[in-house]
Amino acid sequence: MDFTLPESALAVQRGVTDVCARYDLGYWQRCESEKRWPQEVWDDLARGGWLGLAVPEEYGGGGQGLLELAVATEALSASGAAGGSAFTYVLTPGFGALTLARHGSPRQREELLPKLATGEVETCFALTEPDAGSDSLGISTFARRDGDEFVVNGRKVWITGVQRATWMLLVTRTVPAAEAKPRSHGLTILLVNVPEAVAAGSLSYRPIPKMGANTTPSNTVFVDGLRVPAANVVGEVDQGSRVLWDILNPERILLAAGGLGAAEVALSVAVRYAGEREVFGRPIGANQAVAFPLAEVKAKIELARLMVHKAAWLFDAGLPCGTEAGIAKLAASQAAWESADRAFQTLGGMAYSLEYPVARLLADARIGKVAPVTEELLLNHLATRVLGLPRSF
Amino acid sequence: MNIVVCVKQVPDTATERKLRSDDKTLDRDAADGVINELCEYAVEEALRLKEAHGGEVTVLTMGPGKATDTIRKALAMGADKAVHLVDDALHGSDALGTSYALAQTLKKIGFDLVVLGSESTDARTGVLAAMLAERLGVPQLTFSNKVEVNGETITAQRVTDYGYDRVEASLPAVVSVVEKINEPRYPSFKGIMAAKKKPVTTLGIADAEIDASQVGLANSWSEVVDFAAAPPRAAGTIVKDEGDGGVKTADFLASKKFV
Repeated sequence: MDFTLPESALAVQRGVTDVCARYDLGYWQRCESEKRWPQEVWDDLARGGWLGLAVPEEYGGGGQGLLELAVATEALSASGAAGGSAFTYVLTPGFGALTLARHGSPRQREELLPKLATGEVETCFALTEPDAGSDSLGISTFARRDGDEFVVNGRKVWITGVQRATWMLLVTRTVPAAEAKPRSHGLTILLVNVPEAVAAGSLSYRPIPKMGANTTPSNTVFVDGLRVPAANVVGEVDQGSRVLWDILNPERILLAAGGLGAAEVALSVAVRYAGEREVFGRPIGANQAVAFPLAEVKAKIELARLMVHKAAWLFDAGLPCGTEAGIAKLAASQAAWESADRAFQTLGGMAYSLEYPVARLLADARIGKVAPVTEELLLNHLATRVLGLPRSF
Repeated sequence: MNIVVCVKQVPDTATERKLRSDDKTLDRDAADGVINELCEYAVEEALRLKEAHGGEVTVLTMGPGKATDTIRKALAMGADKAVHLVDDALHGSDALGTSYALAQTLKKIGFDLVVLGSESTDARTGVLAAMLAERLGVPQLTFSNKVEVNGETITAQRVTDYGYDRVEASLPAVVSVVEKINEPRYPSFKGIMAAKKKPVTTLGIADAEIDASQVGLANSWSEVVDFAAAPPRAAGTIVKDEGDGGVKTADFLASKKFV
């Protein structure tokens, strides 16, 4: 048993940390308040090949896997981006590159992977619907076959990154949920050219005003008579659930990694403040009531990181990783929330000032307990699938 | 063109830096070692010259075993190979000793152009480039914010208090650079992975024909007699503007010989 990260992951840790060191908490705070994409960071990451880590070398990438992406995501998040902005790493390197590297057709891989590796083409992923969030198999966006094309109608919500994406991985039903047996059958994932669909008037989107994570806008998406060539199916028609889990598990693992970084950055803010702030003639960090909760957060981060790395390793090895990805997500989002909450308590009233980074980190950590999957659903999976308890639904 | 970049590992300026109480040299274990910032600009300039004119970039460092991290960083940026001068006898060398040791090594490995950062963030003497040029018997083009090579001629803009001088010399030569010269690249993923496989030659003082009596703490021409923490900053002078603020400010600056 060897807990040392492979050299490739250590290189990623060092390299991405180096690149991100130029952008401090103030930079991320400005991006958040201006609701703008961190273009400078994106460009620097692209230049160093850090976006294409999981693209095979023959397509110009780094030839690595989810573990390296997770380490990169944590490093970006820990630099001050926090979990929400770590989504920049999930959209294209995760949803786009990782998915197509494993499930894309030869043509899709040849056309898209080289551009995804350089960050020149970006992607987004559309699954959630107004009436199907946690119950993702219950989606109703329908793709009807019409010759060499599919005609798609439906509505999606909480779709992040549509604004910049050239391609959307759109999850559709080709068999209605009520008729599908098993229920996971009849899903089809389509690659949709966003600018073309917008120009044709068959796809539109509206940003949702959000409490945080405003560097990556989330949208309601309207799909109306959208025509998609059958060659743009990712994986096989009706068999989309196989691809879907290879999108959702990495998403959980990457956002767990983002949560680790967010937890680390909030903890470092708290520790610095606790060491410097003097009340009653000594630093507040000398009080165990302040210090111990921070120490507990550190322990939780370390435990969560082990699970993130294990889940990523399982995915890269082609082994089942659903339970581990869920535990990683659960542990990391709780660590991130607790860290931000304890940082708030440590900074006291100052945390409520927007001149300090804690308010942003708190809003950012809160969404991790809900997205991309709620804690309750993860616990439900553990209760029923792992412990074998009776199902509640 | 055979370019050698001298790089130095220094304690991270973001951490607390200390001197050792026993021999009053830098406590290298007290802080993380990082590549000296200006050395990154030197590496970048060397890489750009190589990209424009062809040739090879060799990294040269003198330092303890853990300086290999700094060498790898320079290699990850794109340098081709490295020479690590490491020997216990070198510990505590001052600028004269260091310039002698590096000059001996440079004579051994050969060069058309030596590039350095203009100073390091630890010792801050800023004299190494000049000493090196003198010992090697080649021209020095120091404090450069622009460097061009044309055949056997090298031209540089040398930053001065009043602007810059244009200086020109024949190769081989020694150049030191300031931070305005370029924007150093970050190591790329492929660069970091490739750096692990690039050759690093380790030399001791005997290999580089360095005379042990010229280097090391005992043979230094300078000596750290004592050291103390910098005193905390005293309160500044506050001038209340009663219509004569400008005059008072000018008087203050004049009294400090700023104007």
